Amino acid sequence: MRVDWPVCAARGLCSELLPERIRLDEWGFPIIEGELGEELVGHAQAAVSACPHRALRLIARG
Amino acid sequence: MTTTLAVRTAPPVRVVAHPGPVLLAGIADGPSLAAHRARCGTMPVADLVQVLAAAEAAAVTGRGGAGFPLARKLRAVAEHAGRRPGRRPALVVNLAEGEPASAKDSALALLAPHQVLDGADIVARALRVREIHVVSPAERPAVGAAVEAAVTERVEAEDHVGLGNRGRWSGSGGPIRWHLHEAAPGFVSGQARAVLELIAGRPGLPVTAWAPEAISGLDGRPTLLSNAETWAQVAAALRLGPIGYAAHGTSAEPGTTLLTLPQREEPDGAVVVEAAYGSPWEQVLGDDVNRPVLLGGYHGTWAAPGALRQLTVSRVELRRHGLTLGAGVVLPLAADECPVTTTWRITAYLAAASAGRCGPCRNGLPALAAELGRLADGDGSVSWTRITALAGLVDGRGACAHPDGTARLVRSMLTTFEDEVAVHLTGGCRA
Repeated sequence: MRVDWPVCAARGLCSELLPERIRLDEWGFPIIEGELGEELVGHAQAAVSACPHRALRLIARG
Repeated sequence: MTTTLAVRTAPPVRVVAHPGPVLLAGIADGPSLAAHRARCGTMPVADLVQVLAAAEAAAVTGRGGAGFPLARKLRAVAEHAGRRPGRRPALVVNLAEGEPASAKDSALALLAPHQVLDGADIVARALRVREIHVVSPAERPAVGAAVEAAVTERVEAEDHVGLGNRGRWSGSGGPIRWHLHEAAPGFVSGQARAVLELIAGRPGLPVTAWAPEAISGLDGRPTLLSNAETWAQVAAALRLGPIGYAAHGTSAEPGTTLLTLPQREEPDGAVVVEAAYGSPWEQVLGDDVNRPVLLGGYHGTWAAPGALRQLTVSRVELRRHGLTLGAGVVLPLAADECPVTTTWRITAYLAAASAGRCGPCRNGLPALAAELGRLADGDGSVSWTRITALAGLVDGRGACAHPDGTARLVRSMLTTFEDEVAVHLTGGCRA
């Protein structure tokens, strides 16, 4: 998961939908931690779609 | 707390360069195309294989923190290029050194512009590219003027003038069309993606890169973007050949690198020198080798007093010691300057220089600067943990490396000057 930082407006929906991997810093911006296992991919996709600014992206592991 | 000379927030008014072994060898002859050709001969013609071989043999690298090999970028550009207009490679000469303490690209533009333009010209022909973009910093108008004069000379030498469809002025010399652009003032305007945004006609601010420029850069095309010095090194590598180029430097790091030093007697000036890799730092710095030295500029790392005495100008060796040379800015502190206070001032400048578009940078850098200000003042309420936490919160969390570089500077200060920091934490300052 990668954040498009200039676009992110700290709405925080991603953290609500994927608290296992996304917490918010003291200003409300996402901190992404840990690997994204199979079991969380669905939730991650939900977090990506829920972002009102389209600032979160899932990138295939290269 | 003492004042400091090392922290400049505007580009140098006067740039002095000393003649050097390769890139700065002919500066006494002046910057003209005629002088350049008289000394260096006609521009080498090379195909892609030859350019790759020369860049690899000469170990030509970029001047960012990572020192990325140019040959690898060039190979990626060639592999991803296609004939369709949307896949044609783009070439960018980046002269927009946003860092006020740096003047190496300015020195090249003013004193040896054709070394730089030759490099781009040779590679463009090898890639069968007709257009080259050159970006100058608006803050240093003499640089743009020097580039425009040099391009005009090349175009006139080809006896053909034309207008391009982009940039404020364009001419075509032989098959090459030069497009000149001016980057707005600011520390981050020279960042690679910011420069590509500018060329594409959008505000010249950093944006998120989802792929390397070499794969998807200007308008999504494979793009070879490098600073002026790297382009000049490519030209030198092809002109001198592997043996001639390796006459200076070491076997692991052939050739030379440009360094920018402060000019003590004139705070508005900067000195640019060309050092062969492997030169002792003592030779470059003199007695200043015993002072704390900030290497790699405002996004760089601190060398403790005397740490450079046993070391040479070598990116590999410096990396082993946790140091970085970056774009070659070398800032020794004067005897009355405090590294903690200097780091605070640089951080405050960097916080103000943030484009302010990425949340962690916009919020974190001013918070970091405020903490360091209290540390510099010897305010007992500051905690080491809070400073490292803030550095961690900005690192890697922006579209460009501005927050990463600031975190690197701050962390380096905390580890290199542990004792001074301890004294500051209890309310004092030794300087």
